[in-house]
Amino acid sequence: MGMAIFKQSNGMYAVNIVASCGVLTPDQLAGLGKAARDCGVFRLKLTTRQTIVAVLDKEQIPRLVERLPELGLAVSPYGGAVRAVKACAGNAALCPRALGDALDLGIAIQEQYLGREVPKDVKIAVAGCPRGCTDPLCADFGIVARGAGTFDVFLGGRGGSAKPVHGQLLANRVAREDIFPLLNHVLERYTALAQPKERLSAVVARLGLDPFLPPPGLITADDAQETVDEEFLAFLGGKGSDQSG
Amino acid sequence: MIKVGSTIRTSDQVDLGAMITPLQKICAECDRYQTGECKPPACLVGFALRSLQFAKKKGIMDIPGAASHIPHTDLKHYFVENIVPALAETCRQCRECRDNHSPDCVIALARTCLENAVLEKNIPYPGSVFMYLAMVKKQNPAVAELLAKELQNK
Repeated sequence: MGMAIFKQSNGMYAVNIVASCGVLTPDQLAGLGKAARDCGVFRLKLTTRQTIVAVLDKEQIPRLVERLPELGLAVSPYGGAVRAVKACAGNAALCPRALGDALDLGIAIQEQYLGREVPKDVKIAVAGCPRGCTDPLCADFGIVARGAGTFDVFLGGRGGSAKPVHGQLLANRVAREDIFPLLNHVLERYTALAQPKERLSAVVARLGLDPFLPPPGLITADDAQETVDEEFLAFLGGKGSDQSG
Repeated sequence: MIKVGSTIRTSDQVDLGAMITPLQKICAECDRYQTGECKPPACLVGFALRSLQFAKKKGIMDIPGAASHIPHTDLKHYFVENIVPALAETCRQCRECRDNHSPDCVIALARTCLENAVLEKNIPYPGSVFMYLAMVKKQNPAVAELLAKELQNK
């Protein structure tokens, strides 16, 4: 696994900085701004993966990098590694359209999997509803909330390249706590099945979804028709017309 | 069993009371009101009213699975003029979720019930009042005209 530090056309270097799915406290942002000033950063750019790229001179890179941990930030991994997780603002406190808590799940996944070695980059996106502001169907492992604690998982998407591909539904209505064993399973199967530097989307295109399907008992996916809550049925069947508002 | 409120959406974003009021008015004018014949689970207006009241009480927007309990067998006669104000209010309150639309959203539940009371077929809500009126007009121009007037009134 490498570090995402790249030489730019102007001779400067870009350092890709990861936060918690793009969420920064004012102190973190101010601290990064101060560090950037101290290190002579030329520009800061927001990326499509919800990371921040700092462009600066090569000799200033170590100074900037050593300031990041105290701010709760890190240099993004590069190469064959799980990349920064994209998550929308879907949670109980933020986006009112969210059906489930995508942001906290995305942060938890990133904390656990960022930088994990895999044959080629693995991109994960989490969305709080089917609108999919984080493009979950264009991710290697895309997660879309179906309810407060249930998620659909799509596998093998790829947003970039000349031949973009949408992920396929791997499992539906997966409980939040089951997302982690499912992701473990997918990464293990991907590592075992991929040819050198083969993207997950290419493996799925070559072998189909079957090798990635969760074995029985790994998750408690609920394919059954949703059943209505008994409390509602009791309320509905209550006596006569209710004018109480 | 899926728990009620199994999405994190709350009813803070809409005025459920504004939809409840016209439905209560319909109930008050019903011959079965406050009699032993009043059975909300078997009544389109009663179902819509109870769904909204339940959502308001719980502070929720979605009642998972409720759409499958809409009493499509309610064949009582409803006066269009009574239903239209309530139907118009569902249009006003709709958050236009489009791709995120859920048939178990309480606004959708109420609208579906009220459509069943005055239209032959339910209309898949297209996400905008203008488009909805156009679709109602295709099926029943008289209802569409009344609905348009009602929406212009407020």
